[in-house]
Amino acid sequence: MTLTLCLLVGAVLFGIGLYGAFSQTNLVMIMMGVEVMLGAAMLNLVAFWRFLHPQAFSGQMFVLIVMTVMALEAAVGFGLATARFRAKGSVEMEEAAELKG
Amino acid sequence: MGQPIAVGFFGVVAIWFAITVFRTSSMVRSALALLAVMVALGGIFLALEAEFLGVLQLMMMASEMTIMAIFMVMYMMDPGGLGQMEMTHQKRSAGLVGALGALGGVTLAVFVAWGGGATVPTPTGQLRLLGLEIMGRSMLIFETAGVTILVAMIAATAVAIARWR
Repeated sequence: MTLTLCLLVGAVLFGIGLYGAFSQTNLVMIMMGVEVMLGAAMLNLVAFWRFLHPQAFSGQMFVLIVMTVMALEAAVGFGLATARFRAKGSVEMEEAAELKG
Repeated sequence: MGQPIAVGFFGVVAIWFAITVFRTSSMVRSALALLAVMVALGGIFLALEAEFLGVLQLMMMASEMTIMAIFMVMYMMDPGGLGQMEMTHQKRSAGLVGALGALGGVTLAVFVAWGGGATVPTPTGQLRLLGLEIMGRSMLIFETAGVTILVAMIAATAVAIARWR
């Protein structure tokens, strides 16, 4: 029952993150959407570890990896944002249409 | 007994602030709302008896979101949200995709028989088992993650200080 509750919260958070990543025009706001989605994934991992395999610590290990991915995403995203801001003076993704192939 | 209540409470808090992140027009507020989402997730971790991960989540996200707030102020044209600038596009299709994603997750959560009901080790036992996992079987993964994050830090800084014509 608590597992289902956790999964429900995770699903709704993932949906909100998906909406944010698709609807925002600013690079930093898009990254926030991705962070919300990764948070939902972490919640699911912890819930599965707690209720299905509390003796298998690969589950917690996986959560640590997802936390690393979150930090990486922030580092790479801000690196790109800094480069883009220096080159073009803004990180509005509506103006990044020249990246289109 | 208290566990579902705590999870439900922190879950509602997390969802509420996640909505706030994309509704407020002030950048600092949206960074702080994201911090609140992550703190609520840390609360859920603590409620689920994953003490180490809960505390780690609180510490990591507090620093990460503070840095994010600084970057938001640096890179936004209107960080205070005073000009009521439009910051969204393709709202309808994005909302549709988000709703579909949430619906898919909810369907899975409700209709799959997940089983469960196992008991967890004590906090001390958990720390011991996690340490054995990290330093034993998952050593290579852990080390690789560390090196990867170091490479990303150096690469991101290199990209950021490179000269642009």
